[in-house]
Amino acid sequence: MASVNLEGITKRYEDVTAVDDMTLDIEDGEFVTFVGPSGCGKSTTMETIAGLTLPTEGTIEIGGRDVTDLPPKDRGISMVFQNIALFPHMDVYDNISFGLRLRKYDQEEVDRRVEEAADIVQLEGMMDRMPKEMSGGQRQRVAIARAIVRNPDAFLMDEPLANLDAELRVHMRTQLQRLHRELDTTIIYVTHDQAQAMTMSDRIAVINSGVLQQVAPPLECYNEPANLFVAGFIGSPAMNFIQGEVVDDGFVSTYANVDFDPATQNVTAGQEITIGIRPEDIYLAENTEKAASPTKAFDAVVDVIEPVGKEINAYLLFDRDVEASAEGRGEGQLLINLAPDTDIAEGDDIQIVMDRENVHLFDRASGDAVTHSLE
Amino acid sequence: MSADPAGGESADEADPTVEMAEQAARDEPDLDRGLIEAWAAKMISNPDRAYRATFYVATIFFLVTTLFPFYWLLVVALTPRNNLSEVGVFLPAGFNPAAFIEIFQTLPFHRYVFNSFLIATIATVAVLLVGSLAGYVFGRLRFRGRNVLLLLVLVTSFFPPAAFFIPLNRLFNTNIDVLRPLISAGSLYNTPYAIFIPLSAIFLPLSIFILMTFYSQIPDGLEDAARVEGTTRLGALFRVIVPLSAPGVATAGVLTFISVYNEYFFSSLMTDGQPGSWAPMLEGILRFQGEFEVLYNLMAAASIVAVLPVAILVVVAQEKIVSGLTTGAVKE
Repeated sequence: MASVNLEGITKRYEDVTAVDDMTLDIEDGEFVTFVGPSGCGKSTTMETIAGLTLPTEGTIEIGGRDVTDLPPKDRGISMVFQNIALFPHMDVYDNISFGLRLRKYDQEEVDRRVEEAADIVQLEGMMDRMPKEMSGGQRQRVAIARAIVRNPDAFLMDEPLANLDAELRVHMRTQLQRLHRELDTTIIYVTHDQAQAMTMSDRIAVINSGVLQQVAPPLECYNEPANLFVAGFIGSPAMNFIQGEVVDDGFVSTYANVDFDPATQNVTAGQEITIGIRPEDIYLAENTEKAASPTKAFDAVVDVIEPVGKEINAYLLFDRDVEASAEGRGEGQLLINLAPDTDIAEGDDIQIVMDRENVHLFDRASGDAVTHSLE
Repeated sequence: MSADPAGGESADEADPTVEMAEQAARDEPDLDRGLIEAWAAKMISNPDRAYRATFYVATIFFLVTTLFPFYWLLVVALTPRNNLSEVGVFLPAGFNPAAFIEIFQTLPFHRYVFNSFLIATIATVAVLLVGSLAGYVFGRLRFRGRNVLLLLVLVTSFFPPAAFFIPLNRLFNTNIDVLRPLISAGSLYNTPYAIFIPLSAIFLPLSIFILMTFYSQIPDGLEDAARVEGTTRLGALFRVIVPLSAPGVATAGVLTFISVYNEYFFSSLMTDGQPGSWAPMLEGILRFQGEFEVLYNLMAAASIVAVLPVAILVVVAQEKIVSGLTTGAVKE
């Protein structure tokens, strides 16, 4: 058990900067998830913590000890890999005990620890199986047992659930949380799946293009995203964005105007800003009372509806002339969540209101959030 | 999709027979076909038989050309010395198994075989060790100049070994003071090093190439896992990458062993031919040819004995190679 501290970590390859000046303090026993789109540098960051890659600049401390120049084996960490990476020529016992045997523990101690680890991940009676005789979930549990058997200071998990099927993934997700509660060890977890990040972590570190965007508990990232990237990445379905400009009495754009006093919201007239609003914070005008502080009503046309059971996702166009973008939600398009019993059909003309308490403003030039509520 | 071609094929198979018979009847109504023509017609109408026949002919041809010389060696070895001029093609002129004992009495032939075996073993170990390190570097690391360096290594194997002989011979005959504590004369001539050093170097590039291809296919995750679990890069190479590349290591090892064991050129020139001077097996066989008489029966017997270690090694290693290849393939 130990804290992990990154100080100014930068990793440059010949022509790309994979990780750019990352500073992050992870507390003892914390479950921190690195999340971001593929190629954002989250795996590289983890590899520098593991020692598999040396950072170009910066220092790494694990448990207060500077490990920047130590090889992986001396860092007191263990790792679970995306492709599971069990040694195919060794049986389960040999796989789990590999690290202990390398460290010359005596046989009794090895046996005791392997049994304990196998017990935690429920692998009893499979000690002499070969990896290729096991299912994906079993292999994953062996990999986890191999990681916990050495009582490391910190676990590093690099997309450990990516290769499992959907059902097993959800199951292993809860298993991992239970494991974290039981072991109370620092866990650093890498995923591109924001759902995994949201559900498991104490804190999320959102990374894009090698730059740390926000480090905060999941709900804070969701409710108070630090910038446009975090706002768009965290949450599924993603937040709606409307681009416009600040005027003397609020916000104007091609399709929607929202009134507010620029002075109280730290914006100035003429500033280019983007409004962000989550699908669940938009209501039909007839349900205005549900919004804590409704805006005035906007006209919209229903483009596509997706009933998903507990709710309906409705894709709207502000105007019949708006052409639906093929790449994600474009300008003039809007997604809202409706109650499953809403009487609505594609092509309907409807009126909607936004909840002013949950309207986010972002400065478009910097991308940074300005405010998370207009009230 | 798959049903159609199959149907078409069977139709094709049936059609030509009928068509050809019809055509034959039309063109040459009264032709009485000869044996060969009839056979050819049958083969054309039923190509599977032709393929099978070709396969057997080819297999038997290769088996005979490779195995008959061994059989004939045995025939010569068993022929008594006085009847050597009358040795037959298939049967020995007489029966004298004592030749297999005589070879060890006339000369310390076992010492020659031992010399060869030792030189080949040392060379194989050295080649696998160095080849593994080089194979790891070329197969798993990315660095500037990698391809140029690899090409240089491979180019050395394109030179005829004879090109290296004269400088090496001069070098090995030079007395080097530093070596005096290790080798009494101070020169490498008449030592096993004189054979295994050049041969290891000559056969190394091929092994590097084989090992490189195998090592490059081991997933990075396995090496990373081993390193996180507690090995160094070298430890990961020998504990994880090499065992998983067993077929490649066996192939490189067997090729090197056989090449060094059977090598003629350096083996015959780098020692004075005395068993005590680490002369290899080949020199032993040549020693049965005296000034006035060539003891072909003893040379043949010695050749058979000399082949045995390699034959056994290949059989054993081949089993390993096959098992290495199939363990991955059977259960997935």
